[in-house]
Amino acid sequence: MKAFDRSLPAWLVLLSPAAIVLFILTVYPIARVLLLSVFQTDYGFADADFVGSENYTYLLSNSGFQRASWNTVVFTVMATASEVGLGLMLALLFNRRFPGRFVVIPIIVAPYVLATMVVTAIWRAWFHYDFGFLNKVLRAAHLPPVEWLFNPDIAMLSLVLVDIWQTAPFVFLILLAGLQSISPDVYEAARIDGAKPVNIFFRITIPLLMPYILIAALLRSIESFKIFDKVYALTGGGPGRATETLSMYVYRLGFKFFDIGLASAAAVVMIVIAAVLAAVYAIKLAGGRAE
Amino acid sequence: MRRVPLIRMGVAFGVAVLFAMPIVWMVSTSVTPPGDYVGRTLVLWPEHLTFDHYRALWEKSVWRNGLNSAIVAAGTTLVALALGLPAAYALTRLRMPARLDIGFLIFVLLVKLAPPIVLAIPLYHVLRAFGLLDTLAGLVLVYQVYALPFAIWMLLGFVRDVPYSIEEAAMIDGARLLKRLRTIVLPLMVPGLVSTAVFVAIMSWNEFLYALLFVQSPALFTLPPYVATLITEDETLWGQLAAIGFLASLPVLIVLGVVQRGLTRGFASGTH
Repeated sequence: MKAFDRSLPAWLVLLSPAAIVLFILTVYPIARVLLLSVFQTDYGFADADFVGSENYTYLLSNSGFQRASWNTVVFTVMATASEVGLGLMLALLFNRRFPGRFVVIPIIVAPYVLATMVVTAIWRAWFHYDFGFLNKVLRAAHLPPVEWLFNPDIAMLSLVLVDIWQTAPFVFLILLAGLQSISPDVYEAARIDGAKPVNIFFRITIPLLMPYILIAALLRSIESFKIFDKVYALTGGGPGRATETLSMYVYRLGFKFFDIGLASAAAVVMIVIAAVLAAVYAIKLAGGRAE
Repeated sequence: MRRVPLIRMGVAFGVAVLFAMPIVWMVSTSVTPPGDYVGRTLVLWPEHLTFDHYRALWEKSVWRNGLNSAIVAAGTTLVALALGLPAAYALTRLRMPARLDIGFLIFVLLVKLAPPIVLAIPLYHVLRAFGLLDTLAGLVLVYQVYALPFAIWMLLGFVRDVPYSIEEAAMIDGARLLKRLRTIVLPLMVPGLVSTAVFVAIMSWNEFLYALLFVQSPALFTLPPYVATLITEDETLWGQLAAIGFLASLPVLIVLGVVQRGLTRGFASGTH
């Protein structure tokens, strides 16, 4: 024990196991992806041809990559906006006490803890044209059934709908915590000054809740940007390429076509975009700590 | 006397019904005969109950996939806590040169935010180099990409909650760091370790992408890739899908019921 105490500082001993594992799992892989992205190869460097920036110039002019980037942006924006909107409404609804509140909250949160594969299994059945639950409801209401997953104009909206069901509860929980952190005294003071409910909402509630809204929106956009599972199991990226996202694109190039160089270049582009989102998040978080 | 907010209650219960509907559908379909759910009429609860779907799953030895999931979840949780707790302690309590602690925390945050697919290609190579491709141990290793950053961030707060004065008192009595960790910090952190373990285990139990990419033998599949093959194999195998979905969700939903109070804290650190 004595040797341990003298030769190495304690922080190094405690931190290095985690640091080494994370290094092997992330730093090394990212370095490897960066390097692979300037080669043409089907696995490693053994039979690789150096191609310089060719993979990148190919990607930028490739319609599949452009489509995947656009789809990812569309999905991220639609999903984040509607989840934050719905989450905010739910948080406002549940911010006041009422009988049964603590029975209802876990029911609403339940979808968030289900495995995404279980979620997609349910919704794939619900989206089925002939026997799916949604079209049965539409037919019962004498409305025309919808091609939820096979109409290129609707498939993306269907993915967003599933994502809302699964993750709006997450935004709801964050915003509810935010609302509960606002002191009742602030509202009391405003009411004594004769402020109208509308003014209280826009001048007090929303500004005080804004840090929570921003964090929720950032976390959701970072997660939405990664989307893979739902696309894989609900649409497979189709119909055509209508719902292929960047994660799906990298998967197809790397693990279906074994075009490792090109897939790596696409992965590097993803890393850059994710890093920008992460930087915004880190700055927001640091700002929140400093206050 | 306080007025009961009837409108608010009504809307809240209506929303809860909408959110619960897909889960209720899953439970009811898992006991519905196939002929009933593929009809064109809207059936909310089956007329005749059947347990054929569960029996079919048993005959296909799906319990083995459940066992794989459980093994991977337990392994991932153990490794994440064993590596994450010392790291979280060092980052909170020990002085590091050159603000290394801040640097490491930012690095961990970046890892947490990175898209998992971008690491997948080189991780395939890493697992092959270690001979861990197509093994459950390999999944335990790559799941640290998600689990370790999450565990470290969540444990930081719990380490801070341990009163430093107790440690100082022990230090005066001559207790060395490792002894303090074992006899003071660890026992006081049990609630924090349990909540962290719950979230890491759920994350691992639900993970799909790496399970799909790094395990090829069907006998070693965890539940999510097994469900994925069922989804894509047959268009209307809904009874079995619902049954397996329900079984896979049961442990998670039970845990959700038990740890309700710790929920917000864990979710605020961001899972999935």
